Amino acid sequence: MAMAALRREGRRVLLSSTPSPAAAMAARSPAAAHQEIAPLGARSVSTQVVRTRMKSVRNIQKITKAMKMVAASKLRAVQIRTENSRGLWQPFTALLGDVPSVDVKKNVIVAITSDKGLCGGINSTSVKVSKALHKLTSGPEKESKYVILGEKGKVQLIRDSKDNIEMTVSELQKNPINYTQIAVLADDILKNVEYDALRVVFNKFHSVISFKPTMTTILSPEVMEKESESGKVGDLDSYEIEGGETKSEILQNLTEFQFSCVMYNAALENACSELGARMSAMDSSSRNAGEMLDRLTLTYNRTRQASITTELIEIISGASALEG
Amino acid sequence: EVSDHQFFLKYQVDMVIVPATTGQMGVLPGHVSTIAELKPGVLSVHEGNDITKYFVSSGFAFVHANSIADIVAVEAVPLDQIDPAAVQQGLAEFNAKLGSASTELEKAEAQIGVDVHSALNAALAG
Repeated sequence: MAMAALRREGRRVLLSSTPSPAAAMAARSPAAAHQEIAPLGARSVSTQVVRTRMKSVRNIQKITKAMKMVAASKLRAVQIRTENSRGLWQPFTALLGDVPSVDVKKNVIVAITSDKGLCGGINSTSVKVSKALHKLTSGPEKESKYVILGEKGKVQLIRDSKDNIEMTVSELQKNPINYTQIAVLADDILKNVEYDALRVVFNKFHSVISFKPTMTTILSPEVMEKESESGKVGDLDSYEIEGGETKSEILQNLTEFQFSCVMYNAALENACSELGARMSAMDSSSRNAGEMLDRLTLTYNRTRQASITTELIEIISGASALEG
Repeated sequence: EVSDHQFFLKYQVDMVIVPATTGQMGVLPGHVSTIAELKPGVLSVHEGNDITKYFVSSGFAFVHANSIADIVAVEAVPLDQIDPAAVQQGLAEFNAKLGSASTELEKAEAQIGVDVHSALNAALAG
């Protein structure tokens, strides 16, 4: 009790005895105190800065932990939908095959990215693959355009490929992704861009910590017909076609339906990868924050202990000087 | 309305009957390879003596030469999960819409609604 009173007294004396206003400022504001301009005659380092820092790190850790929990709970629902949706494109691939190497004049790259950040590298991988694909598919007498889904991909691609962006769509994930919404979007894309081949780029979900950048190629009905004659895609001639007046009509229905199904799956896969990536990113952020907090706590305690020890020594030596 | 969900089943069956746009089509093992467009109707899956019936809204059926048939449908709902009262109500609604439709687009939309609901009705009756 007496010691605490002594300490308080000591500090008050110290502050009031500071001669210059600059030094008084330094004592008050933590930012300036950080530069170690301790008030004249101060005996110990201020712990105020460390305490503020600790508080902010703890708050950040709380936020990252919460984000991780949110991503984890969302992931479970989306993962089931994603795995179910794979059944939608598999029959098409079985029938038509997937020909990434097809060489056509008008390429449209549909890059699927997320709207929000803080989810590791999934958007940059999507963008990187799209850019590489753009390089591969563009050339003399050929054109290659982007259709971008998601805010983050748009921001990254708009810098150097502004002229090649045909359309952008964002806020895809405001509501949980459903087929109707994607079908409308697919229809919108098909109406607004001219294409020979659509290349959908997305991150395929493998597990919470792993996702693979993936591309699916969808050909236009005309190209599809040509390619199936040359035997590159599935042999359509061996199939009897029921319904529709002409072959090209049914092929158009088929490719459009294929596109919507592939898009539905791709959007889900990407959303699922996004949540998985966010989960692991937030997990490592929380862990980093924890480590930083540990280090700061150690520093704080050490400094506090040192100042207490100094004060004790002063009191004791003062008392012994009086006695002696 | 019918719930919006997609699902994916993969199993071995004896026969499926799919509602192709050209009419009901039975698919048995060894069926000639076919691509068929589907219309709203009943998809029945025969497995021994068990028959499971689903209502599908639209889609495609691919029959491959290796006796594998893929059926892709936007919506497929077991028939016993459909509420007949809701179907009647929907049918009446779309009929009214068809009567009051002024533009081509509205008319087409209403027509699709009527088609789907009458197919549902027929499926439930049959």
